[in-house]
Amino acid sequence: MKHLFLSILFLISYAIKSQNYAFEAGEKLTYTASYNMSGILTDIAEVIMETSEAKTSKATLLRLKCTATTYSKWDNFFKIVDLYESYVNPKNLTPYLYKRDIKEGNYTKFMKYTFDQKSNTIKSVQRKRNNLEENKTFSINPGTKDIVSTLYNIRLIDFKSMNIGSKKSFIIVFDREEVKAQITYLGKESISTNIGKRACYKLAISSSENVLQGKNNNLLWLTADENKIIVYGKFNIPVGTGELKIKSAQGLKKN
Amino acid sequence: MKQLFTILAMTAAIFTVVFSVLPFSNLAIFPAIASIFFTSMAYYLSKKTGEVKKIIPFIFFLTIMSLALTAYKALFTTGEVANEQVLKEKEAVSKEKAIEELEELDLDDINLD
Repeated sequence: MKHLFLSILFLISYAIKSQNYAFEAGEKLTYTASYNMSGILTDIAEVIMETSEAKTSKATLLRLKCTATTYSKWDNFFKIVDLYESYVNPKNLTPYLYKRDIKEGNYTKFMKYTFDQKSNTIKSVQRKRNNLEENKTFSINPGTKDIVSTLYNIRLIDFKSMNIGSKKSFIIVFDREEVKAQITYLGKESISTNIGKRACYKLAISSSENVLQGKNNNLLWLTADENKIIVYGKFNIPVGTGELKIKSAQGLKKN
Repeated sequence: MKQLFTILAMTAAIFTVVFSVLPFSNLAIFPAIASIFFTSMAYYLSKKTGEVKKIIPFIFFLTIMSLALTAYKALFTTGEVANEQVLKEKEAVSKEKAIEELEELDLDDINLD
């Protein structure tokens, strides 16, 4: 009985913790993505993270949208137009539909996941350059999320109650495979950004796959306020290293 | 030796010019440093023999102009995204389709309160 009570308490406290108090529809965060070319950081693309409402006849969901577009000067060399979307429960960010429509140079790919949260399965549709459609249904672990909703989920974490070095784990479904990711809280740090000097939570991200390389080489800085927006990121991926810097932030829930 | 440094300086200067006009103009700094070094060496050796060929100051001028262009691009040009309209249309179509797909899902039991 005691264990049952504790379990229920844990579940309730977890549910309270993962409620979305950080953002709402109408938020728009614009970033500049830079790539390290022979030791010199070069701005290559604009990344926009935007939230909006998606109304159906039964419910109003939250649409989390991420776009990455190369700056026009790169378009003749390597044009990128990526669109990532996740339609989630606005309260706890449980995903229901995820779409990834990317065009990177000559490479195109479309991926759609329809989450069935009751049976923990995903119905996926994949389309590549030849337009051949490939359908696949696969099982996932409870709590598995897509990459976009995971990014927003990080903002729901209560860092105030975390000790330096403590970790949180996520399971992300990417390319129809589950990837384990982990964030480590590294403490608070003040950094200068385009939206002013901000006190930030510093996080290290790692993954079970080789997508993110090195220990503490992939870092994120989230503002240490109620909004917890990502203002700066450093990444180390197989094709090189780079940075993500905030350019502007609009529609924040708490100003 | 003097000739070798002049050829190397010219080659580096050409790379500096090419890089400075390309999108990755920041990289022009590397051949520019090499060009300045080789030009200095060529100038020093030429001065020793008492004859400085006109090509040496020309290479130096070319490098400095390219560096000025690189600095201007780095300081005053901001990244702009072209064809935003195309992406916006793509986004709108995608959202429309998504809502149709969401309508087919069983969303009755989602607790949104």
